[in-house]
Amino acid sequence: MATNAFLLDISRCIGCQACTAACKTGNELPAGTQFIQLIEQTRGTFPNLEGGFQNHRCYHCTDAACVSVCPTGALFKEGGMTRLNRDVCSGCQYCTDACPFDVPQMVDGRCSKCDACADVVAAGGTPWCVRTCPSDALRFGDRQEILAEAQSRVAAIKERYPKARVYGETEAGGLGVIMVLPDDPEVLDLPANPQVPLLVNTWQKVVQPATMGLTGLSILVTGVAAVIARRNHMQELKLLHKEEAKADESK
Amino acid sequence: MGKVQLQISRRTFLKSALAGSAGLAVAGGHAIPAVAAPEGSAEPPWFYRGQIKTTYSVCDMCPWRCGITVQSVGDRVYKIDGNPADPKSRGMLCARGQGGVSFMYDPDRLRSPMLRTGERGEGKFQEVTWPEALDAMAEKLLAIKEQYGPESVAVFGHTSGEFWFADYFAQAWGTPNAAKPSSSLCTSPREEASNLTLGFPVGGHEPVDWEGLRCLTLIGSHIGEDSRNTVMQDFAKAWGRGAKVIVVDPRFSSVAAKADYWLPIKPGTDTALLLAWINVLIAEKRYDADYIAEWADGFDKLAAHVADLTPEWAAAITELDPELIRTTARVMADSLPQSLIMPGRHVTWYGNDTQRMRAAYTVNALLGAYGREGGFYFNKSPYIEAYPHPPFAVAGSAGGCSAEPGAESAELPVGPSGKARADGARTKFLRGATAMQELIEPMITGEPYPIKALIVYGTNLLNTVPDVPRTIEALKNLDLVVAIDVLPMEHVAWADIVLPEATVLERYDELWTVAHKTPYIALREPAVEPYADTKPAWWMARELGMRVGLENYFKWETAEEYINTRLQTIGSSIEKMREEKGIIVQKGKPYFADFKGSSPFLTKTGKIELYSDELALAGQDPIPVYTPTEDPPDGFFRLLYGRHPVHTFAKTQNTPLLHELYPENELWINAGIVAAQGMKDGDRVWLENQDGARSGPVKLKATERIRPDAVFMAHGFGRNEPALTLANGKGANDAQLQTRYILDPISGGAGMRVNFVRIVKEA
Repeated sequence: MATNAFLLDISRCIGCQACTAACKTGNELPAGTQFIQLIEQTRGTFPNLEGGFQNHRCYHCTDAACVSVCPTGALFKEGGMTRLNRDVCSGCQYCTDACPFDVPQMVDGRCSKCDACADVVAAGGTPWCVRTCPSDALRFGDRQEILAEAQSRVAAIKERYPKARVYGETEAGGLGVIMVLPDDPEVLDLPANPQVPLLVNTWQKVVQPATMGLTGLSILVTGVAAVIARRNHMQELKLLHKEEAKADESK
Repeated sequence: MGKVQLQISRRTFLKSALAGSAGLAVAGGHAIPAVAAPEGSAEPPWFYRGQIKTTYSVCDMCPWRCGITVQSVGDRVYKIDGNPADPKSRGMLCARGQGGVSFMYDPDRLRSPMLRTGERGEGKFQEVTWPEALDAMAEKLLAIKEQYGPESVAVFGHTSGEFWFADYFAQAWGTPNAAKPSSSLCTSPREEASNLTLGFPVGGHEPVDWEGLRCLTLIGSHIGEDSRNTVMQDFAKAWGRGAKVIVVDPRFSSVAAKADYWLPIKPGTDTALLLAWINVLIAEKRYDADYIAEWADGFDKLAAHVADLTPEWAAAITELDPELIRTTARVMADSLPQSLIMPGRHVTWYGNDTQRMRAAYTVNALLGAYGREGGFYFNKSPYIEAYPHPPFAVAGSAGGCSAEPGAESAELPVGPSGKARADGARTKFLRGATAMQELIEPMITGEPYPIKALIVYGTNLLNTVPDVPRTIEALKNLDLVVAIDVLPMEHVAWADIVLPEATVLERYDELWTVAHKTPYIALREPAVEPYADTKPAWWMARELGMRVGLENYFKWETAEEYINTRLQTIGSSIEKMREEKGIIVQKGKPYFADFKGSSPFLTKTGKIELYSDELALAGQDPIPVYTPTEDPPDGFFRLLYGRHPVHTFAKTQNTPLLHELYPENELWINAGIVAAQGMKDGDRVWLENQDGARSGPVKLKATERIRPDAVFMAHGFGRNEPALTLANGKGANDAQLQTRYILDPISGGAGMRVNFVRIVKEA
């Protein structure tokens, strides 16, 4: 199978949300579930401003942390995309902890995220979001061609955006969504160097070989994973409480 | 092995089964999936559930009207896509268009004809049959006609079936008081400015020749936020090619964020900026002198008029840097004639709007943009005959942004009893399409003559016409109020008779004919049967016509018969149009060369009239003059309003899909003001205007993206109708805060950005 990729040109996106709506209707997503969220970004102070839209969506990492931690194979790599078979998801939520971009959501107790419109693509079509994007900010196709398009777009906007760059060529082993960024990733709320959490590395390098026979070690690491996962949840809870307290204070 | 074979054979079967039906082949590089459902999944995706049927239609989720392909399986519509054959959508569609399915399946829809049982405004009705509702309507209309004449019936129309009531029925019945909000509450100033300057209107699709465009200037136009599909596509291409973009806006809009130059102008001062740009272009001899010599009239007078209107003069008024004014004029000129100011769409701002638009067109003329490749093309309407009918009782069209060029008559239409429009045209304002807001007063005062009945098709009366209390008073005063709508919008509660309409996806509709670079005609066919007891507007207008003695105008029995009769005049038919993917494209006359020596400008002089004799004779300024607009009083902000990309007017706030994406509007307010007043982002506040009208609560969006003297919100929220179960009570309502407007003395447009609000912190 060919290795595909999305092109996501952040410099071109005008925030119309046609992608979000096409994705929701084409994939019949239930109320409250969105695979693509556009978040307004503003930098500077009036009247010296810059702005755009962050496209929060699955970036289909090559070294996909979610796939590494998924104990059931519900999440898997295929043709450059991070696929999801919800039928075999156990709802363990390891993926939601592991994702460096905070993408997978739990819907009805199971993982929910962009499946790159695999059924549509299998029939020679284009993912719903790409098909409808009026701004030509989205494309889908052979990864090498998409990468070349991204590079040529970056070259074309250098005069407007001197810091313009391609993002996703190598990050997280190379993303399945190759982005044209008008500025540095940190400025655009993207990690400069997305890190796969330690837990995931452990899982990938230790647990998976262990399943070849070292069941005991596997159990041990599962235990460690559970402890870490629990700790993460506790930290989140703490954060949440802090925010609530802040909100209360300001009332 | 067996399993694999099964999958292949299922796939082959589905592919061949689907290939037979229209539109499922690869269209514009987009294939519709036709593969077997994955084994073992609980419920297959919609496109595996049976034979996919593709229907061609035109989107009705905004007035831009993209051609669409509607995908249904059985009796259910699942997906709407852009029709690749359509010159507007080109296979793509915005979020609102995608929401068309959700709009149709909104559980809050009107289901059945109803007659009022309680007081007007109470919203108490009983469901009746169609004959009962139409008989009651016909009886009342005839009685009113008998006593007051047919002119005493006003018809308001907006959204795509408006033709049947605001145009066809109104003209057959004999009332010149048919009006569309798309005129005097939206585009009238830009249309009349164009008529006065160029001799033809702008038309529904702004004729920007995007392909070669090198410099785009926007004044208060919000590409991306108003979500006009084609414009977003064209803009993205032009921007990607490196075209320069200049945006004038008090707010750092989505498109301002893409601009090379953003001019955060003081609201209401745009004409001063335009005059300064004209000054620079002329003083620095940067205009297209050959073009002006050949095609413009009144240049010397213009040059003298602007001699002192320097960037420094404008800077003091606009609060812009004079050097920025000078630089942007030069940037525009550097790219001429592939450089232009785009005509806005909603341009009824301050009551002096026709003059502002004329100033913008003057800049365009100096840039030599009209009729030039990469500037403005000359649009042309497609050729097709009307359905043959007896002469109408009243000539002229209600106009509107979808009116074809030339459709608006220079003469005022007069009804059968000799009465012209009651909106004050020729007395309160000079010319243009019927001014909807000026028809409210005659409903109350009976001057110049009484209007006794109101038929409201779509329109969203109480969210559209400024001065809502006055409209309510008019509604109380009328002898008959009929509402034709899909949803129980606020004004429906004030109707005596409610007629529920089928949505675009459930009905045939008049052919969509578009004046364009490549004139074209689009077919509108139903994908599914109408919901509950709803009916299409063509059927209602015909049934009503048959009951009020207009049977000669309604000789056709079905919409197919009507459409086929029209299509026959160009050698086509519904069936042929289906084969052509629902679109017929004709040849246009876009550039000067296509006019073979004759002038494309239809003014008296045959030239672009920089100086207007017609305006001078009418006592108006023949060359645009800057007239100041009132500043907000202390503690108040100017109320600006506009669009959110997933919503249209006040139509879509209750549509489940679009409601999910943006459920309530926010008040954009300068972050410094919010901090200084001890508030914070996300606080809920009430808004009170200069007349004490209140709306809210609305969430504050503290942002650097707006000037400190203005606030902004998306239009159409803050609804006050419990039957709109999702939209009711969410956000603030700009229409309720527009208790005043300033009438444009030229076009009859209602300038609505003359209202001020203050923040009220307590609930």
